Amino acid sequence: MLVKDYMTRHPIMISPETDASEAQNIMTENNIRHLPVVGDGKRLLGLITREKLHVPPSDLGSLNVWEISRLLSDLKVKGMMVKGKDLITTEGDITIEDAAKIMLEEKIGCLPVLEDGVVGGIITDTDMLAHLAHLMGATVQGVRVTIRMPDKVGESAKVTDVIASHGWGIYGGGGHDAPKQPGYWDAVLKIQGGDKEEVVAALEQIEGQEIIDVR
Amino acid sequence: MNNLKKAPPVLILEDVAVAYKIRGGEIEAVQNVSFEINRGETHGIVGESGCGKSTVAWAVLNFLGANGYVKRGSIKFQGQELVGVTGEELRRLRGDQIAMVYQDPMQALNPSMRLGDQMSEVLTVHRDMDKKEAEKRCIEMLERVYMPDAANVMNRYPHQISGGQQQRVVIATALLNNPALLIMDEPTTALDVTVEAVVLDLIADLRREFDTAIMYITHNLGVVARVSTRVGVMYAGEMVERGTVEDIYKDPQHPYTQGLMRCVPKLGADKASSILYPIRGRVPPPNNRPVGCVFSPRCDYVREICHNKRPELLEFSSGVSVRCHFAGEIEADKWSPSDDILPPEIITDTSPREPILKLDNLKKYYEVQGSSLKDILGLGEQRYVKAVENADFDLPRGTTLGVVGESGCGKSTLIKTIIGLEQTTEGHAEFMEIDITDEISTRGEDVIKELQMVFQNPDSTMNPSYTVGQQIGRPMKRFSTVPKDEIRGEVIKLLESMRLGENYYDRLPRQLSGGEKQRVGIARALASHPNLVLCDEPVSALDVSVQAALLNLLLELQQEYDTTMMFIAHDLSVVRFFSDQVAVMYLGQIMEIGPANAIYAPPYHPYSEALLSAVPIPDPSAEQKHIRLEGTVPSAINPPDGCRFHTRCPRRELLPDGGAICETEMPPWRETAEGHRIFCHIPLETLNTFDPVITQKPEGSNHVS
Ligand SMILES: Nc1ncnc2c1ncn2[C@@H]1O[C@H](COP(=O)(O)OP(=O)(O)O)[C@@H](O)[C@H]1O
Ligand code: SF4
Ligand code: SF4
Ligand SMILES: [Mg+2]
Repeated sequence: MLVKDYMTRHPIMISPETDASEAQNIMTENNIRHLPVVGDGKRLLGLITREKLHVPPSDLGSLNVWEISRLLSDLKVKGMMVKGKDLITTEGDITIEDAAKIMLEEKIGCLPVLEDGVVGGIITDTDMLAHLAHLMGATVQGVRVTIRMPDKVGESAKVTDVIASHGWGIYGGGGHDAPKQPGYWDAVLKIQGGDKEEVVAALEQIEGQEIIDVR
Repeated sequence: MNNLKKAPPVLILEDVAVAYKIRGGEIEAVQNVSFEINRGETHGIVGESGCGKSTVAWAVLNFLGANGYVKRGSIKFQGQELVGVTGEELRRLRGDQIAMVYQDPMQALNPSMRLGDQMSEVLTVHRDMDKKEAEKRCIEMLERVYMPDAANVMNRYPHQISGGQQQRVVIATALLNNPALLIMDEPTTALDVTVEAVVLDLIADLRREFDTAIMYITHNLGVVARVSTRVGVMYAGEMVERGTVEDIYKDPQHPYTQGLMRCVPKLGADKASSILYPIRGRVPPPNNRPVGCVFSPRCDYVREICHNKRPELLEFSSGVSVRCHFAGEIEADKWSPSDDILPPEIITDTSPREPILKLDNLKKYYEVQGSSLKDILGLGEQRYVKAVENADFDLPRGTTLGVVGESGCGKSTLIKTIIGLEQTTEGHAEFMEIDITDEISTRGEDVIKELQMVFQNPDSTMNPSYTVGQQIGRPMKRFSTVPKDEIRGEVIKLLESMRLGENYYDRLPRQLSGGEKQRVGIARALASHPNLVLCDEPVSALDVSVQAALLNLLLELQQEYDTTMMFIAHDLSVVRFFSDQVAVMYLGQIMEIGPANAIYAPPYHPYSEALLSAVPIPDPSAEQKHIRLEGTVPSAINPPDGCRFHTRCPRRELLPDGGAICETEMPPWRETAEGHRIFCHIPLETLNTFDPVITQKPEGSNHVS
């Protein structure tokens, strides 16, 4: 699960000479929020986001309508893009979670991914959410159970043993420290093979663990 | 897996019309074409020649030439309008994001530049990469496209590698920039089937790995079925049907698509799958398209409204769209052929008939001139191209022998030697009990009259200043088979049996279409009522709907006159239906020969097995064994010792020591009870255990994981 497996390859890109209004149109029409700005050979020069295209009203305050329309039509991407040290990128070879960390730390919604120094793809917060949904098994049918267990080695094995002994499969899931209950761990699993009652009945048998949610 | 993210298509064409300005006006080569291609998708565009497939591709790249332009509609690439984009912007898109691969790799390669230099230029110029690094990248990419000995290929010139390898270089070059869109226009049409199979596998891999959107143009329905996810069918400048490959092949809606499916051989389990039903008529040129529905002159379902009103594109809930007034009402499986396109019934006469042609270890070697000083002085050892080796079989009167093999395997040389255009090197040939081992100048008129040939390219053998009537009448006059005053009548009769009609009598070759010319070629070959007709790929240059008509016609005449026929083809699908016997050649050697029904089922010769596995079948529900041959066909100058196939044979491992014997000893002929002969060291018992190459996929194999 590396960035290169989950990024969008061949992102829509624009040149620095593109009009800001055209960039705005491209984003709206394709329902996207980020556009890498590239020169020859897809070399990354900058990044345009929806916010970057906002013209602060204060810039327009003193202008009349003709001046405003002229100003807007003269605006080019190269003057408005994120560039230089503000432009944060990544390589395809890092893990998804590391990319997520960078995005959180930098408070950004998108990372252009460089391959051999040129744009090979883009990964955004939407990709991260899609990835989360997939990890949790959002795209498959099944029983979703949350089990609270002591935060000790061997506890999850008990769960998987039970599931395996019934011939069921795990199609997604994850784990987290139990909120407000130190020393416990919440595991979420998407299980296929048995129905809700069967799954609950089987997992209830595990001593020291508790089913806190099932749906 | 269900994908939660929905990325916008890479390419969207909306209602595109492309026109070419010609003297005194313009023609709309393409009209109302709309489709989109997603990332990681191969979208096929299929149709016969002149239907506008390439025009669509060129429109995307704005490569329409000085006289062509996009007249209406919009072409959006990655959200950006391409129509009207020129200069710097266009150059950048073409260089960095859209790449194109043509049928002829030499169109993209510079003959006077080392391959390594032209490849790495893409990186050094566009990306400022330093030369060393660029070369390393190129070698890696060549390895990705399975180029044998990639580093070495970098130092060669284009003419020093084979056509299949050239095409791989072009594909590798196209991929160096990791384009978002790859347009391929008949990229494997010029390649042999076994090479084509490898290139098609490669294309499927690349799409997955690089998430490239591919527009794949071809006239070959089998190729589309193998590589594409969706397909658009073009006819006379319009996209008449579009949908997923499964939907379109299983249940075609448009009468043209239905017709196309019926005129290509399927190579299914039974012989019936190889019966061909032609579509009457031919594709109209762009300046002469009918009003109303463009397909109306050829359509079996035409009604009044079709002549007056252009059908709109109808979209079905399945996602299939069809441009026909009666889409959804026409049921392909209720169709039955009308009399004029009914294929002749094949009478399989099993009673033994006396051979009309007997070949006894026939050999044809060509001397080759080396280029060293020693060779020029004549002191070097004489070298030979061993084009035909030990051809040895009898051809019973009134039967048809199909000869199959890839280019350069000696098929044409074999029939040229029989007809006397080439001098036999060794062995004997006997025709109607007359020795015809020597070339044509030594033969009597009676032999020449009885032995005729149909060529692949009728142009090369037709005198451009003779009318059709003269071309066909000439052999009648020469051999006095028809009294002088009856020649005209006889020619017209022959024309009619070719479905050409009297009005063709005075036409000149240049006034004929390719299919019509080939009909004249066949009529001329049959004019002297020969006993044996040798056909060298007579239909492979023609469109499929025309091919089917000609094959059926040829067959009908052959049965009517009880003619014996040898028919050359480059893959096993075409000859199946009408051949009594089939021979498979490799590198000058007949590897397998036998009754047609025996060739398509085990036991197979290992080479025939590989050929069957390579042929693209226009049926997505057919499953083929995956056998790919490594390397290329060795040179016929120094063919491998022992079995000529040993350098590529995937089956020799079945023999002791990995088939060491194949490298040194000529194989024996293995013969079955029904007269099926296989030239291989592997014993029949083992050959018999091979699974059939082609099977039907089980229904509803859509498994959940
Ligand atoms: N440069 C040109 N000038 C005039 N007509 C052309 C030109 N190129 C193609 N055409 C015509 O446009 C039609 C479509 O051709 P093309 O796109 O090559 O079809 P396909 O690729 O399906 O064989 C044909 O009738 C062809 O003769
Ligand atoms: S519209 Fe009419 S002529 Fe055209 S394909 Fe449909 S039925 Fe045939
Ligand atoms: S003789 Fe050997 S190399 Fe030749 S086809 Fe048979 S197994 Fe293969
Ligand atoms: Mg073309």
